[in-house]
Amino acid sequence: MFFFRNYKTIIFIVILLAAILIVLSYNLKQKSPAWLIKKVVLEVAAPVQNILNASVKSVSDAWSRYLFLVGIEEENKNLKKKIDDLKAQLILYQEGYLEAERLRNLLALKDDYNFKFVTACVIGREQVALSKTVVINKGTAHGLNAGMPVLAGSGLVGRVIDVSWHAAKILLLIDESSNIDAIVQRNRTQGIIRGAGSQGYVLKYISKTQDVEEGDVIISSGIGGVFPKGMMIGQVSRIDKQEAGLFLKINVVPSVDFSKLEEVLVLIPDNDEDEGE
Amino acid sequence: MIYYLLWPFLSILLIVLQNTVADVIFSGQLVLEISIILVIYAGFRFNLIKGVISAFILGFVFDCIAGSVLGLFTLIYVLVFLFSFFVSARLVTERMHFIALFTLICVFLEEFTVVLFYNLAYGFDILYNRPAVFLLQALIVGLLAPVFFYMMRRVEVFFYGKPAQSAERTGTGRIPAET
Repeated sequence: MFFFRNYKTIIFIVILLAAILIVLSYNLKQKSPAWLIKKVVLEVAAPVQNILNASVKSVSDAWSRYLFLVGIEEENKNLKKKIDDLKAQLILYQEGYLEAERLRNLLALKDDYNFKFVTACVIGREQVALSKTVVINKGTAHGLNAGMPVLAGSGLVGRVIDVSWHAAKILLLIDESSNIDAIVQRNRTQGIIRGAGSQGYVLKYISKTQDVEEGDVIISSGIGGVFPKGMMIGQVSRIDKQEAGLFLKINVVPSVDFSKLEEVLVLIPDNDEDEGE
Repeated sequence: MIYYLLWPFLSILLIVLQNTVADVIFSGQLVLEISIILVIYAGFRFNLIKGVISAFILGFVFDCIAGSVLGLFTLIYVLVFLFSFFVSARLVTERMHFIALFTLICVFLEEFTVVLFYNLAYGFDILYNRPAVFLLQALIVGLLAPVFFYMMRRVEVFFYGKPAQSAERTGTGRIPAET
């Protein structure tokens, strides 16, 4: 070709493309290897994201506060009523919890959740066309490592895939490449939760003979060792029994609103306890 | 040399900015991918080596900050640059409607590549999810491209006194590769 007169240029481009392909295939196999250059990029990007996020948040907060002033009295009344209802519910749950504690002691069950929690703020949402990730403001300096599970108040969020010293990238469960072993809470039917982007999750490998209903709660099974058992994932929203094949097609609504994530909890395995034993 | 030292930082700033703006405006549903317009701009205006390195860095930063598979957007951006460079050497790339149409095609190609990759690598058909979102995204980026090129032309005039020449305007039909 006429613009490739200089062979050095061709060789350079071919080498570059080959290098990219090698990195891509290696990354596919290794699932996010920890490279220093990635850490450095994340580390440099974190303060920029922090500043932008803070400015955007302050503007949107001011706007929201102004909007929420309208009709706040009515909302206040509704909230008070809701608090009363929730208090009544809480008493019931507390009773259930105490009962479970007593039974657990009786059965001498060991608490499997040997985790410490690290609270982190979301400083960037990188929900590009296909990869759903968020960046948080904690890194290896705070004890974080790749592979650690991440929670929000209402359930599982994802897992840490890249960590720099003061920032980390979380692969959200709604990412299409995310898979997690799960069970239906009601009848302990086991399946795989796979990310489906804006549609939430898809529960796979549930046989057509299994009894799964809309509204069923899906929790993590603990198999695989990454996510602890019993963590809330979502609720079944739609079941397609007509589709050809052996399995049901089940859509699951996440328990977490990923578009409004602000703070998350990273679960760090508590090794002190193990060492002590 | 200063350009190559500054470019990674500018790339980080651009990627973070475009993601934040998209998150605020579209609540994470759409992506405002200014970075691909920049890659096309580089294809039309930069020489081969400078453009390839710029596209590589921009794609790599995109992968590090926003992507889940390192190397995917790096590859796409370098290929989009080479495609733009090849086209700019053969066609008149100054007209705004051409820029919009070309960007639209490039975004479609990018989305197609990503869909194909996810399908082959993970066996997941993501297109059933949101063909309308993909279409809308490509249209928005396609419409933004002429605005971006117009602004860049203003910047070029401000700094150099005249707009930078694209490939077909150099007389030789190519941009020198080793400048």
